[in-house]
Amino acid sequence: MLATGRIFGLGTLIAIWIFALVSMMMAKKKLPSFRKLAGLDALPEMVGRAAETNKSVHFTTGGGGSLTDPVLPQLIAAMAVLGHVSELCAKYGVKIVYTVFLAEMMPIATEVMRTAYIKEGKADAFNAESQVIYMSGDQFAYSSAVQGYAERERPAANIMIGPFYAESQLFAETFFRVGSIQLAGTARGYQIPFFAVVCDYLLIAEEIYAAGAYLSKDPAQVGSIRGQDLGKVLALILTILGLLATMAGSPFIVNLLKM
Amino acid sequence: MSKQEKNIWEKLENLPREFLYGLLLIAFILPMINPIGLPLPITPEVKKWYDTIEALPNGAAIIIDQGYSGGGEPECGPFAVAVYHHIFKKGGLRVIGVATTQEGPLLWDKAMAEVNPEKYGRKYGVDYIMLGYFSGVETAMAALGKDLRALTSTDYKGASLDQYPIMQGIKGATTFDLLICYTTGGDQSEGWVRQWYTPYKTPYLCNVLALMMPTMLPYQKAGQIVSLTKGAQAGEMELLVKKPGRGIASADVMTMTGLLVTAFVVIGNIAYFARRASKKKA
Amino acid sequence: MLSIAAVIVMADYFLKIPGTSAVVTDLQNWGVILSAFALGFGAVNLFYVHTRHISRRTPGQWPYSIWLLVMLVLFTVVGISLRYTGPEYQWLYNSTLFALSATIYSSTGFYIASGCYRALKARNSEAAVLMIVGLIVLLKNAPALAVAAPVLVTMENWLSAVPTTSAQRGIMMGASLGAMALGIRTMIGRETGFLGRLTEAER
Repeated sequence: MLATGRIFGLGTLIAIWIFALVSMMMAKKKLPSFRKLAGLDALPEMVGRAAETNKSVHFTTGGGGSLTDPVLPQLIAAMAVLGHVSELCAKYGVKIVYTVFLAEMMPIATEVMRTAYIKEGKADAFNAESQVIYMSGDQFAYSSAVQGYAERERPAANIMIGPFYAESQLFAETFFRVGSIQLAGTARGYQIPFFAVVCDYLLIAEEIYAAGAYLSKDPAQVGSIRGQDLGKVLALILTILGLLATMAGSPFIVNLLKM
Repeated sequence: MSKQEKNIWEKLENLPREFLYGLLLIAFILPMINPIGLPLPITPEVKKWYDTIEALPNGAAIIIDQGYSGGGEPECGPFAVAVYHHIFKKGGLRVIGVATTQEGPLLWDKAMAEVNPEKYGRKYGVDYIMLGYFSGVETAMAALGKDLRALTSTDYKGASLDQYPIMQGIKGATTFDLLICYTTGGDQSEGWVRQWYTPYKTPYLCNVLALMMPTMLPYQKAGQIVSLTKGAQAGEMELLVKKPGRGIASADVMTMTGLLVTAFVVIGNIAYFARRASKKKA
Repeated sequence: MLSIAAVIVMADYFLKIPGTSAVVTDLQNWGVILSAFALGFGAVNLFYVHTRHISRRTPGQWPYSIWLLVMLVLFTVVGISLRYTGPEYQWLYNSTLFALSATIYSSTGFYIASGCYRALKARNSEAAVLMIVGLIVLLKNAPALAVAAPVLVTMENWLSAVPTTSAQRGIMMGASLGAMALGIRTMIGRETGFLGRLTEAER
């Protein structure tokens, strides 16, 4: 019944689900605390700066991936941040523009931003046509369009969360040159250095998945982050045990992982 | 320290980017126009790639993902072309091309035009074939691994696969002896590990952009990728297959630009420390 | 529905249940077809957005919108009537999209150079380490220098194999666990950020 070589993987998956579900239930009684994520704490500062300089906030989820790719979790995480930033922008009367690469993200982003404006009681202030702009479905055509937008509009703040490819470098440098304060986050490991070199604030890999929970403080979401951290503890224990076992000449842990 | 001296260090620390880009442009163009012929080492990874293909028996089936985009072609293209030269020169191998990017089939045509398989006596439909673009990245990879013939019944030109001798016995991942992927996207390079190597243990050769190497190294160190190379190593593959091309031509450019960027960094640091020292003195 | 489909696909991977394999193959094939339709959706959206720019004569935009639609129609007509595998389409692609994509991508080389000049400064001990490691990798990737100074190859190989790979493994594990937690939240309907719906706390 069980496929050979995948038993341990199944066990680990079930264990992490259990950790997440139990943590979500426990979080309803007492909310776990988060360590500080400077990038997300800086969002009000970034929107405030845009309000002071009477400029806009730019948001992008990058020119990579689609809704059928494994990067979908990154897009979902980005939408959570977009919702929060839209609320802040609605509150301070700042224009937020989301430049779209994936056409299928347009209705999702429009709904997220509209809901944010409604929550702040400023439904009339939201204009989907000028705030959710579809640029192109081609990576470099999209990059050129966003770079052109940056040079023309010179937004005060640039927020980049999502699956990025080579355009990460292009965006980071261009928005730096026009003087935008920048927050970036991606789970694509090889794009993180480009953001790290230029951006003011950075979210590394899993921090973008925690963003939604961090900003909303929703017990279910916060609890699942704790469950995820327990999964990390499990991985750490296995790594240390594996290291010790291998040094002692025992293949036990290796064979366990191969089960 | 005088105001003049201070200004020199400040100027050196903040050189205008137009000046830097101008020098870089010269470093790009000069070696391309007038090749210097600097030495080029053959690294173990490229040698392993070469040996893996060389060790394939007659009749072995290779699935190749033409997964790079137009933007990445100058980097991944020369390596792919060198490998195609190797495969077609060796002979007796069946090459089934697929594309997980939309531009893949067009770039396949571009590569084939450069390689000219007919020169080696290879025939489309007998020795090589392109099945076309499959959208969905990992979903497509999983579907191809399970049952390729259920996903498509035609090649990329719309002709039925039944007429091509190369497709005899080809069903899913278990019928292939080797998987090769050239890509500019991490979703493709990592996706093949998850969807083909992990369930079917298909030997996997991967060629990616240089910046993707750190992300893919864990898979190679874990033995999930036989050989991981970057597009910039095309010159080495061209030397091995004895087909000089764009790869060798770019090797001089890489050396010159590497030295130039190093010089920028050194100048920037000297200027930074000199300016700090002059501030302390003042 | 989403949760049921996800569980079926996962069950097929981990368990050998008769009948699920065929269902999963169909689901995966549907996934490929749906994703192909998404491409068409993008083209329709482009048409809609840019015809509006043209009809409203958006200043500084509408001439480019006309050009975009002309190229869109040209690529479509050539691709369908003369086949996208034909020499005409190939020529159109090589002379426009391919050339432009390669050019824009190549501009990252310039940005990286100016980024290195600006960022690789030994302002403190961590920055100094970054600078030294960066220079080792940069010089090793210059082929002629790798021949002239083999010690660079040894150092870079160690840097890649030990600290870089370990850090990458950590990032990958963290990102994978994050995606798993997000997955379980989505499957049980607790991840509402992307739907624009209010969370329980907000309700």
